[in-house]
Amino acid sequence: MAGALHLLSTAGLGKSFDGVRALSEVSFSLAAGEIHAICGENGAGKSTFVKLLMGILQPDEGSIAVNGEPVVLRGPQHAQNLGLGFVAQELSLAPRLSILDNIWLGSAEVPFFHRTTALRRRARAALDALNVGDWDLDAPVASLSIGQRQIVEIARLFARDARILILDEPTATLSDAEIERILGVLDSVRRQGRSVIYVTHRLGEVFALCDRVTVFRNGEHIATEAIAAVTRPHLIELMLGRSLSEMYPQASAQAAPRSAATIVRLNIPGQVHDFSVEVPLGKIVCIAGQVGSGANAVTRALAGLIENATGNVWISGIPLPLGSVPRCVANNVVFISEDRAAEGLFHQMLVRDNLVAASFRRRARFGVLDWPALRRLAADLAGRLGIDRRRLRSSAAHLSGGNQQKLLFGRALQRAGGCLLLMNEPTRGIDVGARADIYRLMRELCDQGFTLVIASSDLEEVAGIADVVITMYRGETVGRYQRNAIDMSRILADIIHPSRSESTVRRVEPAQAL
Amino acid sequence: MSLAFLRNDPHGRPLVTFVLTVLLLVVFGAGQGALLSPAVVRSTLETFGDTGLVALGLGLTMVIREFDLSVVGVFSVGGCIAVLTGNTDPWTGLLLALALGMIAGLAQGWLIVRLRLGSIGITLGGMLVLSGLAYVLSENRSLPYDNMQVALALTQPIAGVFSIRSLLTLAFFVVAALVVGTTRIGRDLIAIGSDRRAAMIAGVNVNAIIVGVFAFSGATAALAGVLVSYSLASASPAGLSDVIVPAATAAILGGVSLSGGTGRPLGIAIGMLILGVLHAGLNVLGAPPYAEQIVMGAVLLVVAVADGPLLLRRLGMTKQLIKPGLISGAHRNG
Repeated sequence: MAGALHLLSTAGLGKSFDGVRALSEVSFSLAAGEIHAICGENGAGKSTFVKLLMGILQPDEGSIAVNGEPVVLRGPQHAQNLGLGFVAQELSLAPRLSILDNIWLGSAEVPFFHRTTALRRRARAALDALNVGDWDLDAPVASLSIGQRQIVEIARLFARDARILILDEPTATLSDAEIERILGVLDSVRRQGRSVIYVTHRLGEVFALCDRVTVFRNGEHIATEAIAAVTRPHLIELMLGRSLSEMYPQASAQAAPRSAATIVRLNIPGQVHDFSVEVPLGKIVCIAGQVGSGANAVTRALAGLIENATGNVWISGIPLPLGSVPRCVANNVVFISEDRAAEGLFHQMLVRDNLVAASFRRRARFGVLDWPALRRLAADLAGRLGIDRRRLRSSAAHLSGGNQQKLLFGRALQRAGGCLLLMNEPTRGIDVGARADIYRLMRELCDQGFTLVIASSDLEEVAGIADVVITMYRGETVGRYQRNAIDMSRILADIIHPSRSESTVRRVEPAQAL
Repeated sequence: MSLAFLRNDPHGRPLVTFVLTVLLLVVFGAGQGALLSPAVVRSTLETFGDTGLVALGLGLTMVIREFDLSVVGVFSVGGCIAVLTGNTDPWTGLLLALALGMIAGLAQGWLIVRLRLGSIGITLGGMLVLSGLAYVLSENRSLPYDNMQVALALTQPIAGVFSIRSLLTLAFFVVAALVVGTTRIGRDLIAIGSDRRAAMIAGVNVNAIIVGVFAFSGATAALAGVLVSYSLASASPAGLSDVIVPAATAAILGGVSLSGGTGRPLGIAIGMLILGVLHAGLNVLGAPPYAEQIVMGAVLLVVAVADGPLLLRRLGMTKQLIKPGLISGAHRNG
């Protein structure tokens, strides 16, 4: 590609957050009329890279060149003026505004009085190019489905005549028909000589659509290959990389005597369809799936956090009513959210108070808290969790992510033996050292009679810690694997692009699965 | 159809509330034909002129999901400055007050975007400082305004029911409606209130708009203070402090929600008219002043409840106003 005109290139691009390298030494190029896939696991640095290209983040090192000219991107508007257009993973539309207004939102081309017929015509043309020319331009975006909103985002780039379209997982939440439509549209974009940077997990789309693929892993630029030169297994290997370390403690071998929980046909409208499983006592069940697969929704529903979830759930043989957190807690179901900041810690409170927060009711006499007992409890818990006791009196906000997560485990530990512990993304944002502690804790909990159900999109973790893996793809259960049959590449294949026969509903009866 | 109109047109609900309020008054005032007299219309418009400008500025800060509490302080300090400096030339007083209001708004807006602070804390501080300043300027007494010509001119009826004050206020609303409805600024404003992060990613200059809205809110509050003080021919800091409750009520009745992105200037104007007609109507009916508060509160409660997404969902009216996360991807199952 040396002689070809590069619309966009980077040299030695790097970025750190608080001393942690998120991205290093990325040398990337994008030719005219090329669709270039960016692949990698969660946390590989894909999103950071894209944000650098759009000027949302500033690089710590390296340079970016557009049309061969080195540039310093000052912000999204500046990147736009240079012909870059970005569809973020989370939608960036203003729901209260109309489709037309959203298409032109923030554009430098819009005159002071914005309701010109030229803008309306170009917006219409952009929607036409996406085969949705019949949409009402004046309808509010709030009235559209998520998939339709994604199309408005792409139409926005079209209308502004972006030369380089950067799409960050555009199909994560779309239906098959909508994905097909978007792939078709991107193909015609390529034929117009425009280029696309396509960030995705889904290998099927990479092979169906893209010309080249760049793989990131742990913030490093691993490889850039022509699609014709790689095979699917090779690409998966590039994404997963290093062999599994000795991070994961072995499960005790004894067979589970009985089941801790039975879930039959759990349904959440629009998110999960007919999810069934029998969770064995003292084991770790991982629900693996990407964003939008519904894996996180299953655990949230079991925790009583989703009002419109339906289905039959028994905890140790007792029926569990869904949709009410207090009733779930009363039935010994404890939930640890992936969003520790919003749904876990009390940031303003001390570490100690955070730890014992779940015991206030039991350690009070006529409403007056028994602080000496609570302090003893906190010191005891800190010892079991591996938290330095001197930190008990500092603010919870000052703990590292790993220690914060241990705190939340500590809350569950106060339940005398045998509760169902639900967790979403248990090691998100936690460094490698603390991860090993977390995994060790999980195993200890199992040995103490706890049962764990984990929703995770981190494959290495799923393969390393799970006794049972259930893979999900867009609300459907794809496959189930027992400990000795867990294979990372098969799980990856399941959650990123199951073959058609599997993605159509394959209902496995719970008894048959275990 | 009528329900769709209520949902989609930003002015639909305020208009319906206004009509229902008038009907309510007519029903309760049956047999006392005084209700639809020019006096009631004039009184309604005078209330509109008193607080309308404050409601407009405050309402726009609510549209961008902020809240400008300092309008109280700007309103009273603006009135005091105008009365102190505008005895010979009313324009001097007006300009000084406007300048102060705008500077106060700019400073607070700048602090809010620069330090990424919540507007409640900053503007609460602004309110206390400015209200205190009004007490200092007036030495805690009522300041007389000697230029009676100006006072008379401002209250002189025009075409029977209007005055310069109410017409000026109306003009501000019309201009604001045009700006919000047809210009890039207006659309960026709604985008910021609707989803600030999205607006930023789309390339909207979020900070400039926020600072601008606070400057506008300061200027309109100061102008309202000047007009009220001039027309009463006096200014006292205590008498000018009771403005934020009616202004916020008018904004909410007018379709502005505290969660941002909803509400338009004309809606706020209608909200102001609802307050005005309630005030005038209950007066005519001989209701005591506390009854007015109770009725106003009840109307606000009804509107707030009718606006709740859960109620709408229960009634099966709409799914789109519900938090998108709960229904995301629902089309796949449909």
